[in-house]
Amino acid sequence: MEILLSGLLLLLLAFLGTPLFVIIAVIALLAFWASGIDTSAVIVEMFRLGSTPTLIAIPLFTFAGYMLAESNTPKRVVQLFQALFGWMPGGLAIVALVACAAFTAFTGASGVTIIALGGLLYPILIQEQYPERFSLGLVTTSGSLGLLFPPSLPIILYGVVAGQSIDQLFVAGLVPGLMLVALLSLYSVRKGITAGVPRTAFSAARVWRAVRGAVWEIPLPFLIIGGIYGGIITATEAAALTAFYVLIVEVFIYRDLKLFRDVPRIMRESMVLVGGILIILATALGLTNYLIDEQVPMQILDFIRESMDSRLLFLILLNIFLLIVGMMMDIFSATIVVVPLIVPIAQSFGIHPVHLGIIFLMNLEIGYLTPPVGLNLFISSFRFRKPVSNVYRSTLPYIGILLIALLIITYVPELSLWLVELFGVR
Amino acid sequence: MKFFRAIDSGLAKIESSIVVSLVAIMILMAFLQVVLRNVFHTGVLWIDPFLRYLVLWLAFLGAMMATRQDRHIRIDILSGFLTPKLKRLSSTVTSLFSAAVCYLLFDASVTFVLDEKEFGGLLPLFTDVPIWYIQAIIPIGFAVMMVRFLLRSIDQTVAILRGLPPQEETP
Repeated sequence: MEILLSGLLLLLLAFLGTPLFVIIAVIALLAFWASGIDTSAVIVEMFRLGSTPTLIAIPLFTFAGYMLAESNTPKRVVQLFQALFGWMPGGLAIVALVACAAFTAFTGASGVTIIALGGLLYPILIQEQYPERFSLGLVTTSGSLGLLFPPSLPIILYGVVAGQSIDQLFVAGLVPGLMLVALLSLYSVRKGITAGVPRTAFSAARVWRAVRGAVWEIPLPFLIIGGIYGGIITATEAAALTAFYVLIVEVFIYRDLKLFRDVPRIMRESMVLVGGILIILATALGLTNYLIDEQVPMQILDFIRESMDSRLLFLILLNIFLLIVGMMMDIFSATIVVVPLIVPIAQSFGIHPVHLGIIFLMNLEIGYLTPPVGLNLFISSFRFRKPVSNVYRSTLPYIGILLIALLIITYVPELSLWLVELFGVR
Repeated sequence: MKFFRAIDSGLAKIESSIVVSLVAIMILMAFLQVVLRNVFHTGVLWIDPFLRYLVLWLAFLGAMMATRQDRHIRIDILSGFLTPKLKRLSSTVTSLFSAAVCYLLFDASVTFVLDEKEFGGLLPLFTDVPIWYIQAIIPIGFAVMMVRFLLRSIDQTVAILRGLPPQEETP
């Protein structure tokens, strides 16, 4: 009874906007008290932040992502993709998809994409006579597209929390991510034709100009993807190279950002996000450790085992559960809180933890868009000054497409795993 | 109150310069290590643990800044339905609650650091530096967050009493 009451009280406090790390810390403290362990044990676990080598990638990639978002990179990237794909039917929509995906991979936090790139693309889409509802849905959906591509922060965090190789996860996300972009592109092409959007001619001179403009940004994805897939560098090393490279390029070559005026501000801004994520991770480390000691995942597993033994059914329920989680929580806290519980359960149903990671991220990506409380819906409504109900309606066809992709990703594990085996990534 | 606020903004300045220097050091050191390892097939032994400790410090300094700017990650699904006044009231309650929890965490981390000071070892590879120097950021961080949560709850209470208009919304 007491447990139930305090649980409900905590839930209420959480829903009223208490920082999540506080909620998790209370649960951890209570759990340790109840089992008579000194609460400083919670802090011992927190100190593990300082002994996990892969975590170094998080501040470095976040900083690099914020630098890119604040510079003129979004503009140059859009120009490049426009020159490359603008001539196709639905071309500009594809530009939006590809540019947002590439950008989200670097910035991880999907709200940034809608605000930085969506704000740039939406007026151009309207100007080129794309239907308003289609365009609004497109930029909202694109805000979380690209989570599956390296070096996305959520993938790194999943790797850290689930204890899986980040290099493997980076490889695993590639094919599902490309499939997602391809499906959405097909829809855009169809829409471009049926809506009778005028097309522009392909111009080699324009491509050349755009390539010259973005010549310093173009190597970046190849550096990361090539380096990691080729086994030359690890994810953490890629983060170190990216942060340094971006700093040099934006400050000294493009001169978009000033070393003493902009860079310190961006460092602070990015570390607010890093601190926000890592303090949740820190408090959760104590709780997770307790839960595993008490064999809570095993008990949940036994309970599930009793009521079902079908892997298919489990996957369906997992998807529904994760969609709800993704709707209510942001991707970072969801990863930290939920992943330690589902990894052992999924494993016992024969689901590979790397495959699970891709399923997990895909679900959360859809959750971002799911009415009534998906986060991207609100960011989009705020950014484009549209009522949330308009945004709801505009994203529905996209949610449909993403759900189809989710089903394929969930029930065809090879999609995620064959590249990993092909390259023999460890 | 004015006194606390002056201390808090002074603290914010120190905090921000430490964060900026640590990030700069991290970028340079991490890059140096990759170059040494992959080009020259060597490496500085202490850089790796040093970078890991930087992550711990940046996590806590970042969380302290997030507390000051009210930008912690939260599941905020009810406050959209509240009236401005109730919103402030709920902010008072959640901040007060957060302050109390930060006090408990502060207390626990002081125990932890004192234990480490007594029995804990030295930093690996910096043999003359005790490890609790690094760990001290944990109680410092929770103490600062506690004070900031308290200040916020006081601010909100004052605003309710004076009937101030609601804060600007930022997503």
